[in-house]
Amino acid sequence: MKIEHFLEKNEVREITIFNQLVLNGGTLSYGKMLNHLGVSKASLENDLSSIAVRIEGFDQKVQLQYDGQTIGLSMSDDLSLQQIYRLYLDQSIKLQIITFLFKHQEFSITQLTQKLAISESSLFRKIKELNSHLKEFGIKIRNGQMQGEELQIRYFYFQFNCYIEDKATFLAEHPDDRLTQMIDAMEKFLDVTITPENRERLKIWLIISNARVSIIDKQAKRLRTQMKAYRKDPFFHKIQVFVLRYFSRYSIEVDEVESMIHFAFLLAFPVLTEPDFHEYRLLRDRHAPIASMDTLIAETIINHFKYRRLPYMLERDMSYHLTHIHTRLYFFQGDIEIYEYEGIIAKEKQIVGTNVVSFARTLLKTSTKTLADKTGESNSLLKMELLKYISLLVLITFKMASVIQVGIDLKMDGLYKETLGELLILKLKPIKGVRVEHYDPTKIYDLVLTNEEPKDQANYDDARIYILSEILSSFDMVNIQRIIQELN
Amino acid sequence: MRVVIIGASFAGVAAAFEVRHIHPDAEIMLLEKQDTLGYIPSGLHLYWDKKISDLDEARFVTEGQLDKHGIVYHLNATVQKVNTTQKIITYDQHDLSDQLSYDKLIIAAGSRQLSEKITGSAQESVLKYKRYDEAQAVLIKVEESEHITIIGGGQVGVEAADLLTTMEKQVTLVESMDYVLFKYLDEDMIKPIEKNMTEKGVDLRMRQTVSSVEMESDQKVTVCLGEGSVTSDAVIMGVNVRPHLPFLDKTIKQHTDQTIAVDRYLRTSVEDVFAVGDCIQLSGPGEDRVYVPLINNAVRTGIVAAANLIEPSRTFKGSLRTIGTRVFGKYIASTGMTEAESLFTDRTVESHRQEVRLTSLADSDTVTLKYVYDAKTHELLGAQMISDANILEKINVLALAIQSKQTLEDLQQTDYFFNPAYSQMTATTNLIAWMDERADEDEN
Repeated sequence: MKIEHFLEKNEVREITIFNQLVLNGGTLSYGKMLNHLGVSKASLENDLSSIAVRIEGFDQKVQLQYDGQTIGLSMSDDLSLQQIYRLYLDQSIKLQIITFLFKHQEFSITQLTQKLAISESSLFRKIKELNSHLKEFGIKIRNGQMQGEELQIRYFYFQFNCYIEDKATFLAEHPDDRLTQMIDAMEKFLDVTITPENRERLKIWLIISNARVSIIDKQAKRLRTQMKAYRKDPFFHKIQVFVLRYFSRYSIEVDEVESMIHFAFLLAFPVLTEPDFHEYRLLRDRHAPIASMDTLIAETIINHFKYRRLPYMLERDMSYHLTHIHTRLYFFQGDIEIYEYEGIIAKEKQIVGTNVVSFARTLLKTSTKTLADKTGESNSLLKMELLKYISLLVLITFKMASVIQVGIDLKMDGLYKETLGELLILKLKPIKGVRVEHYDPTKIYDLVLTNEEPKDQANYDDARIYILSEILSSFDMVNIQRIIQELN
Repeated sequence: MRVVIIGASFAGVAAAFEVRHIHPDAEIMLLEKQDTLGYIPSGLHLYWDKKISDLDEARFVTEGQLDKHGIVYHLNATVQKVNTTQKIITYDQHDLSDQLSYDKLIIAAGSRQLSEKITGSAQESVLKYKRYDEAQAVLIKVEESEHITIIGGGQVGVEAADLLTTMEKQVTLVESMDYVLFKYLDEDMIKPIEKNMTEKGVDLRMRQTVSSVEMESDQKVTVCLGEGSVTSDAVIMGVNVRPHLPFLDKTIKQHTDQTIAVDRYLRTSVEDVFAVGDCIQLSGPGEDRVYVPLINNAVRTGIVAAANLIEPSRTFKGSLRTIGTRVFGKYIASTGMTEAESLFTDRTVESHRQEVRLTSLADSDTVTLKYVYDAKTHELLGAQMISDANILEKINVLALAIQSKQTLEDLQQTDYFFNPAYSQMTATTNLIAWMDERADEDEN
């Protein structure tokens, strides 16, 4: 599911216009814009007029200039594209349907047509469109209710309120001292630290959960099967005791499904800090599906990069992230693509190379084969988890790359030596994993760049030596880069 | 002034008497769903315990008492709708629908013992006995059963397990938490009870959630658990009670847990409508609002609502969830916050457990006491007791101490009588370090 699925076609086009303008430095010709959108000039003019009306509310903070030749965008410094997206989403009927459904849990067609001031047929059409996107979450709107596995419904509402609905408004609409009390108690009982950022995440989750806790006839067949491997999990037990004790204070009946839902959420999303997660990791059953997948993928990564082993803290960090990825793949279906997947993949390929991306795909294939029966590139969950694998691989390679010490020892007149040396440093600095400086005989280097054959090689200890043919030439630069790669 | 009270159990009846006391001229009408009046919900336990010889004796009020006070009552009257705009109540009685107007309305409709999560728990073969007619049916069913499964290890469940074991029934008790009576006692205090339960042959199934109850072809009933199942001759529901208020007007605000939202004067969101007893949340031991469906609260809320009918004059002081009972040979009592529940308070809480002798004589019984108090101020917040001797009245002393915000030091200064045959050097309910008999060390 994508954010744009909550918008109408013309609204998506309008958003695209903003996007293109931002990507092109604020100005774009009609021709280029028409090419990108694949629409007629009249249609573009329409879109531009529509935008002009919409942004009136920003009170000159956003301005769009267009004259039939060029389109220009200017925005005040305190405004970003996010607020423009917000403007469109706030007016989205589909968003209002979901919000209404969350608030009331059930609706009648008349109730909703009146509330949204739209026709019945238009409401049905929008629900049908929404359902086509909700399908990947395994849920649907039917008979005025959200139907499907309870975990999936709450997960969808969670993603929806984090990324589609205005998070701040949602939180402000649900002020509740009991929530704070619940989180504080949870922190004490689970003996964990919940950071402010994670607390906000947990708060959204608990608002959703508490609003749905009293619903009768929740579906949880899939979750119950998935939880078979976790019945004896120590963290699950703790959550279960907490949930039972908390709700025993109210006239609310909870069964074990409530605890199972919280267990899945707390492990799939960063709520626990790494040290707290590590405590759990030491106790959990290593043969349970998520833990054993963490081990398999971790070993595959270590083997792939031919590392003997990772530093202790990096290994812990990797395991922390892998558990999030694998818990999501194990328990959840569907996702909201908060990042432009294709764009990011293309950028990642440029930066980290195709190897990392294709290796991440292999990892995803391995994990999904065992953890989930989800296939296909169109599944947003798989797309988002692939991005996470890529990020994790990049993180590991960055952290594992050793820093190559390069010393520049030019043999020439003082002024030239200084200037050319600085220029060389400037040129070499952008290369990852390199520290360049003027040669200091008291230090040890991996590589020494000089312009004359050294009289006595031993002066440079074990450092590799490269003699520059022509200082700052591209020939030398290519060679230096090759040597650095070899040293790495 | 016509005061209509929905429900003639403890809260409703207490409210009716108090209204009569304050407003001698008021017209008071009680609408009761059941066809009997004043049945004590735990009447069956009294009967099994041979405290009464007939279920009919389990009554806290009689028709005569109501008549004497000029309180009109309609039995078998099920309220269908409350219209707070027109101040009219629609109710069914003997298959006929009738209406009644009111000036003041008190909702005291109580609660019911029903699970919405356990599939099949609504069927007749799953026994509940809060009501007189239900208790009668259970009486017969239990007599002909050998093996009985109890769902829920709260006060009802554990008392039933004790009584049924005494009647030489084979008992299986299923509880979703780690230990029984978890709302009232901490795990360290419950150990002697669980030990006695096991010794008496109760099959304790802790940390097990019931997913469904299924009837077998041979009249047996199977309780399906998270892991495994139990098949027995009968199943007793001992789960928590919940209000059931389908007749409510939408204008009466409810909490997420379906209880009616009331203020400190027990007024609902609608003028002239009050709610009491098991229909509401109360200010609990931690001073936040919780659901405490106990008869002592029902009676007290009934009285407070009655006092506030014309104008708000008396606030409800809250509940300490004070209980006392005897199960498996032990008297147990609890009031206020438990250590486990202190999780939900901002205060830093400490606890102390001690075993003290009840008298100065050599053959004195002992009581194990647990105090829960504010670490900084030493204000007493909760207390638990367990003993072979009947110490139940002593919990009221500690409940009063908590309600009047006394510290442990204040308690030491309380003036109690001394008589070696009946008391110790210091009163039982004083936390004095040198009176300890190693109760805490037993743990280690």
